Amino acid sequence: MAAGRNGFWQRILGIDRRWIFLLVGIGTALPLIFPVNLPVAASPRVKAAYNAIEAVPEGSRVLMSLDYEPDIMAELQPMSIAVLRHCFRRHLTPIILTLYPAGPGLIERALAVASTAEGAKNYQDYVFLGYKSGNQAVVLGLGENIKGLFPKDFYGASTDSITLMRHVNSFTDFPLLIDLSGSTIADYYIRIGASRYHRPMILGATAVMATDYYPYLSSRQILGLIGGMKGAAEYERLMGIVGDARRGMDAQSLVHVIVVILVLLGNAALFATGGIKPRIGGGS
Amino acid sequence: MRFGPLVVTFLTGAVLIAIFFIPHHRAQETQSVILEWADIVYTFALVLGSISLWAMHQKKVQQKGEGWIYSVVTLVALLGVTAFGVIQGVEAGTVVGRIYNMVNAPLASTMFSLLAFFIASAAFRAFRARNVEATLLLVTAIVMMVGRVSVGEFVWKGFPPLTEWLLDVPNLAAKRAVAIGIGLGAISTALKIILGIDRSYLGRS
Amino acid sequence: MGETIDTRWFEPARLNLLVGLLTFIAFLAINIRRAHASHEGLFIRPLAGLKALDEAIGRATEMGRPVLYLPGSGDMSEVGTLAAITISSRVARRVADLGCDLRVPCYDPVVAALIDGTTREAYREANRADSFRPGSVYYVSATQFAYVASVTGTMLRDRPAANIFMGSFYAESLFLAETGNLTGAIQIAGCDQVTQLPFFVCSCDYTLLGEELYAASAYLGREPNQLATIAAQDWAKALAAAAVVLALLLSAIGHPEFGQLLKTS
Repeated sequence: MAAGRNGFWQRILGIDRRWIFLLVGIGTALPLIFPVNLPVAASPRVKAAYNAIEAVPEGSRVLMSLDYEPDIMAELQPMSIAVLRHCFRRHLTPIILTLYPAGPGLIERALAVASTAEGAKNYQDYVFLGYKSGNQAVVLGLGENIKGLFPKDFYGASTDSITLMRHVNSFTDFPLLIDLSGSTIADYYIRIGASRYHRPMILGATAVMATDYYPYLSSRQILGLIGGMKGAAEYERLMGIVGDARRGMDAQSLVHVIVVILVLLGNAALFATGGIKPRIGGGS
Repeated sequence: MRFGPLVVTFLTGAVLIAIFFIPHHRAQETQSVILEWADIVYTFALVLGSISLWAMHQKKVQQKGEGWIYSVVTLVALLGVTAFGVIQGVEAGTVVGRIYNMVNAPLASTMFSLLAFFIASAAFRAFRARNVEATLLLVTAIVMMVGRVSVGEFVWKGFPPLTEWLLDVPNLAAKRAVAIGIGLGAISTALKIILGIDRSYLGRS
Repeated sequence: MGETIDTRWFEPARLNLLVGLLTFIAFLAINIRRAHASHEGLFIRPLAGLKALDEAIGRATEMGRPVLYLPGSGDMSEVGTLAAITISSRVARRVADLGCDLRVPCYDPVVAALIDGTTREAYREANRADSFRPGSVYYVSATQFAYVASVTGTMLRDRPAANIFMGSFYAESLFLAETGNLTGAIQIAGCDQVTQLPFFVCSCDYTLLGEELYAASAYLGREPNQLATIAAQDWAKALAAAAVVLALLLSAIGHPEFGQLLKTS
């Protein structure tokens, strides 16, 4: 009997990782098929980001840099949509650009969703400047001559002729900077836009990267931080909308619970077998 | 033969460090120009990389090495996308734009999503209470995993504030300490290269 | 709208950074002298990951399987990549000495060209120039997950006995490390991206944390000047820690001026 129990725990320790993958797959798919709509409470960091936009006077222009590609759109696209919708609701005019070559396609999709939901129109409620290569050089240039960097917007219109671009040519002309980034491009905006030009700034980042920016939050170099899909879900909650992030949190919650159960099971097996730990089985 | 690259490295590094302290507009313009040069050099390096990629896969096809069919796919894709990009451009609506949106983008998203599965298997294997430090790691990981999702609040109302405290205090303290170490290490490595102390990037002998 | 043109030749707000940099250079100069004066060489505490390098390469030689070296997915502007390039020459020398196979798939074409050169040089120094296999260092793709797909495919097909991850890694770190773990390779990682360290710690046998990556090249080469830079780093870290504690104590008793001196802009 003891040998049988030990055999069971040994099998748990040596479980083929494909069973783990299967459980995670089920845990991800089920809540998407049968939504639970678990409540999401907004954290102080996300509330601070929300309040920073709330504090901007109506009719102002804000500079938004949406710097992400398809691989991380699951975390950043819902964030972009929620923040864009917030800007439109507050009658702020986002001037949008991207430093990622694959960014424009995603931004157009985000703009389509946000503008449809809030009734916003191109050239009346927002301007999309498009993509510019150069990363740090571009951010430096935004501090001096935006129209020089972007003589035309994404759709080919001369930025000199766009009414919303009048009196706007550098960081100093914006009361708020918003950067939603999946890379270290955020560092350039913090160093140049927030620190050198003293612009109030809020930041959105992937969950893994967000913790890197906590020091900037505590030193007030950024006013708010939206981290990952959870941050996007919290922002949607503050906006009173149900978007992809809130739907995705159900799946994330279940998968986290599955992983915790597996970890506890693994530890129970370790104790039951007295610390014998064969390598877990491979897949191929 | 090494003297030239060493001098160029030293002068470029020294100039860029100096510009950091000089707000004069000419100095800042120089920095922008140098950054543009770096982009241009990188673009030529991409051409070099493509040539090396082509050579490697062409050899595999010629010698009918293992998996040579996939090398044919690589070569056709490399040639085709480059040709369409040069002829039509890369904006939305062009062939390259469509290939990027219909092939690259979904593939990249799929690959990224596989991380969720790998995290689960890595967590199962790594979070074991073998000693005191490992137990601390295990407990913290469980608290974070539960507290960072909606379920945490259901289990115990204290989970979200506990996770926020863990992120704001011990995590932030450790990150700052590691970041200071990395920053100093980065200065050290950069100075080694600028001053020519470390020349291994040129070949050592 | 009038534009103000800055014509100052020095930014006074950065004086503290200049003092810090000059102090660091002074520490470097002092330690280079110490290193050359010392017969035994400056002491560096052992780093388990680097001690295991020889074991890993030896294992690969015995098993007749290749060593896979990944220099990260950063480009030449990242210090982690520079560290990866310098370490690669050391690893290549060890591999050349023991006579096993080396594969170095690269994310960046410039990095690939540099590592190709340093690897050839390492084989020449080991009098094994003929053993160098052209094409062992190759450019894959500058797209993150295309690179990952290729490297994981290489891991699963070629089954390297040792995987060495050194440099700047991002989201692909767990992918690479877990796939390597699946194949049973011994894995040694060094990464300067703090966010990726937990993934390497979970999946690799040995991990160099943060600045240990930068110390690796000096550790492996044991050249006096290189060891001196590590000592200078440690002195600078001690000074930084002392300054922070002093600023904290002074601020606590109502004198924040010293802390203000440490502020950067």
